[in-house]
Amino acid sequence: MPATSDIPLLKVEGLRQYFPIDRKYTVKAVEGVSFCIYPGETYGLVGESGSGKSTIGRSVIRLYTPTAGKIVFGGQDISGKLTKSQKNLLRTQMQMIFQDPMASLNPRRKVGDIVAEGLDIHHMCSGAGERRGRVEKLLEKVGLAPEHAERYPHQFSGGQRQRVGIARALIMNPKLIIADECISALDVSIQAQVVNLMRDIQRDTGTAYLFIAHDLSMVKYISDRIGVLHHGYLLETGTKDEIFEHPVHPYTKSLLSAIPSPNPIVEKKRTALSYDYAASGIDYAKGTDHLVGGTHHIRCTDKEFGEWA
Amino acid sequence: MEEHDKILSVRGLDIAFRTTAGSVHAIRGIDFDLYRGETVAIVGESGSGKSVTMKAAMGILASNASVKGGTILFSYTHADGSPETVDILKKDKKWIRRHINGKRMAMIFQDPMTSLDPTMTIGRQVMEGMIWHFKVTKEEAYRRSLKLLQEVGIVDAEKRMKNYPHQLSGGMRQRVVIAIALSCNPDLLICDEPTTALDVTIQAMILELIRRIQRERGISVIYITHDLGVVAKVADYIDVMYAGRIVEKGTANEIFYDPRHPYTWGLLSAMPDLDTEDERLYTIPGSPPNLLYEKPGDAFAPRNPYALKIDDRLGPPMFRITDTHYAATWLLDRRAPKVDMPPELRARIARMKKEAGLIAGNE
Repeated sequence: MPATSDIPLLKVEGLRQYFPIDRKYTVKAVEGVSFCIYPGETYGLVGESGSGKSTIGRSVIRLYTPTAGKIVFGGQDISGKLTKSQKNLLRTQMQMIFQDPMASLNPRRKVGDIVAEGLDIHHMCSGAGERRGRVEKLLEKVGLAPEHAERYPHQFSGGQRQRVGIARALIMNPKLIIADECISALDVSIQAQVVNLMRDIQRDTGTAYLFIAHDLSMVKYISDRIGVLHHGYLLETGTKDEIFEHPVHPYTKSLLSAIPSPNPIVEKKRTALSYDYAASGIDYAKGTDHLVGGTHHIRCTDKEFGEWA
Repeated sequence: MEEHDKILSVRGLDIAFRTTAGSVHAIRGIDFDLYRGETVAIVGESGSGKSVTMKAAMGILASNASVKGGTILFSYTHADGSPETVDILKKDKKWIRRHINGKRMAMIFQDPMTSLDPTMTIGRQVMEGMIWHFKVTKEEAYRRSLKLLQEVGIVDAEKRMKNYPHQLSGGMRQRVVIAIALSCNPDLLICDEPTTALDVTIQAMILELIRRIQRERGISVIYITHDLGVVAKVADYIDVMYAGRIVEKGTANEIFYDPRHPYTWGLLSAMPDLDTEDERLYTIPGSPPNLLYEKPGDAFAPRNPYALKIDDRLGPPMFRITDTHYAATWLLDRRAPKVDMPPELRARIARMKKEAGLIAGNE
């Protein structure tokens, strides 16, 4: 799904997210990350655990207060203290789907009430009839039956529960959905169902996704553009073809080489490239943004850029 | 196959669990063999019974399990060289603990954080098994542990012996778990989703490590996983499980390049590879069955777009395709209509074969 507009829906500039542990020690989870998401596109964030990909998602939706940097969403700066109208915009236009549907759905509430919670909080329905109508329409859209509204989360299978999580995110008609590892807890055959559903929804509603995952082949399949994170730095970003066909940064190369391919003869002969940050002599902090071409950027020093590109 | 000796032979394994909701028939007749030095991967979704099968082989089934039938024959040699074959299911837990677990059959679990003891140093945990099983002295155990840690690629092994698990990264922890599993020189290594909790870059390193050790020591390995990429990298033979049954078995090449069972088709095409450009992924409709409610016929039939009428009445037997390749689907019966795999998958397999240097369509 190509970008439909030149004005980014979400613009993140120089985002830093630090977590002070005590007086002496601060975890620097995200270090100066910048990227944009255009309306209706999917931006994939990949990286190993601890690279800061989930933190970025949570900072963007303001579960954390960013240490520094700017987050502009729908033309409004949402990185500082939020006004009431900004909060309203953020809570309706941006939604999140979490990794583990069992942990993110309240076990004591019926699915219908879980899905309608946003409507209730923002007083978006005039009556019980309209509320029920909207919930049922949405459940149908994500492949569940209207009578499922009366059930509790534990009565569903893992894939169905994730559909409930998607329905809950969709009820506010958001412009951006942050999907944080939303398929990694599901079985392979169910993952494909959920990914298909997410693509169908994007086609119908034009919502944009920030798709956070560590499964690179799935990220490649669903994303239009991709950002590669390591140790809190965004090392390389570009369209999926730019990243997968012409990776420039050695970390991206090693990451791509590690993806196992379901092709036994090829796979048995192959060994992954190894990458050791400490031994590589690369210092991410010294790097600056370099344009490779098109929308393809990498973070490195001028000297490294000369060597790699 | 004369030069290989059979190390594990499972026949007609049948296991049910007593639960408050009723009896769950988790394993419904499983046969497979494993020869020395070979690798078998058991593939399936959660609830297909792959972990239960391996727990039965290790004699560590949950207490509400009841084995309704079958044999698990495990062959090993004593220290003096005399061979011995035992049926694990006939032995009591204590005997298995003493003679099999950790000593001749070792297991690597999914999450290295939960399988290591957070209150013990790495060194003590690696030494524990050999002191208990072989009664070696502490000094000897220390020396051997140091060598093991170096063998699994831990730098600064001497320093690491004194560390606690939380001081190590996920990949390092899994290396320690592998060292512990190898500490008593087992004949069989069972890896239950060994890399699911790890990052791709570390996953590749751990898999290559297990493969190297397997080659050097000539041990057999069973992988339990749902990740077909991992399977392609490591497996000689593959058993695809669904709802407590093996639905297709064969060599890795047969399963990946010539799958016959609709469930295998679904599994293969549900995972996009890097060249997948299709608008939609082919999916298996529905979700895995609840084994609390047994129904006659093929358990996969409700999710199978290619199901025949007979599937509702009678479960299919294993049809032979080659000497190593079998599949349990009525589609292979000579009276069945000719059904082809989904075109997306056909195209992908053709592409994979080309990449692998096999000529497409020539078998």
